[in-house]
Amino acid sequence: MSRGPVFDELVGDGATGAERERLRRVHELLLAAGPPPELPPQLASTPDFAAVRRRQRRTLKRRAFLLVGAALAVAIAFAAGFAIANHRGGETPAARTVTLRGTSAAPQARATLELLPARRGNRPARLSVVGLPPLPPQAFYNVYLVRPGKPMASCGTFTVSSSSQAFTVTLNVPYAPAGGDSWVVTRTTGSGQAGTAVLRAA
Amino acid sequence: MPGEPPAPHGASDEELLARVGARERDAFEGLYRRYVRPVFGLALHRLGDRRDAEEATEEAFAAVWRSASAYRAESGAAGAWLYTVAGSAIAERLRRRGTAGAGVLPEPADRTDESVAWRVHRALAELAPRERELIELAYWSGLSQTDLAGYLGLSPGAVETRVCSALARLAPVLAEESP
Repeated sequence: MSRGPVFDELVGDGATGAERERLRRVHELLLAAGPPPELPPQLASTPDFAAVRRRQRRTLKRRAFLLVGAALAVAIAFAAGFAIANHRGGETPAARTVTLRGTSAAPQARATLELLPARRGNRPARLSVVGLPPLPPQAFYNVYLVRPGKPMASCGTFTVSSSSQAFTVTLNVPYAPAGGDSWVVTRTTGSGQAGTAVLRAA
Repeated sequence: MPGEPPAPHGASDEELLARVGARERDAFEGLYRRYVRPVFGLALHRLGDRRDAEEATEEAFAAVWRSASAYRAESGAAGAWLYTVAGSAIAERLRRRGTAGAGVLPEPADRTDESVAWRVHRALAELAPRERELIELAYWSGLSQTDLAGYLGLSPGAVETRVCSALARLAPVLAEESP
């Protein structure tokens, strides 16, 4: 185990008296603070001022968007669910329904995840989505089971061709859902980088 | 760190914040460069998740842009005001996380440690890039004094002189009011 930096070795005879004590105090604060965090690339560059302005406007309009978006999503999800249920003769009612809301990466997005009864060891789920932005080629959305507090396993992936189009995808939850479970939808690029959360359980 | 803009000397935090309140982009960018690491570090410490911390940092600076015109220098130091704004953005992120049931709220953070880290990481932004690199290598790289001198292509005596100089530049910044 390596020892930490030693003040007398670092500064040598470079300062004496009160000045040396002043530098020693700085040295002690540096040791107490620890290293500054490594910034993620998005924060390392100068802020996108236009994005700040957009975020400001978005905040002002957020409530209106939420109300309209939520009403729209509920209506679409209900219509989609109703249509699918009718189409299937109502044979697969949801055992549990989870509402997901868009993160700051996709504030317009809304979704409903319906956990269906287990069948032959599988645990199907239906995700009804609206408002997710279309993706570039080779990128995709990934639905994760979150337990405990962290993405644990993928329930399936999908893509979007039009953000205005509401649609439903069928997924499979790999583990039996438990009480504290949650779900998150991430956007993953083709480069294999970690995904950005776009939808979280409300 | 090639390509990095020079450390923003000159204007005080209070002056910069007042100019941000007047919607001056340069002032906002200067303030951002000074405080992005302290804000991100605070968010990371309290949230324990880099992605959440990144979003909380963005929210904090958006709030700074929105609210800077409400800042009054006579009410306290700009650093303390920024600390409060950052804390609110982080708390909001914690509340959302709690509502989403996606994690357990962490234990109350050690405010003394947070305050020291905030002050020191803010002060480091006052150093020129080469000085900051020297301090980061000297304190947190694990390099011995000899290895550090070899890495930098300097004599041990020159390293001592530069460390002294960098510490002396940090001293007055660290002596200012803490959050």
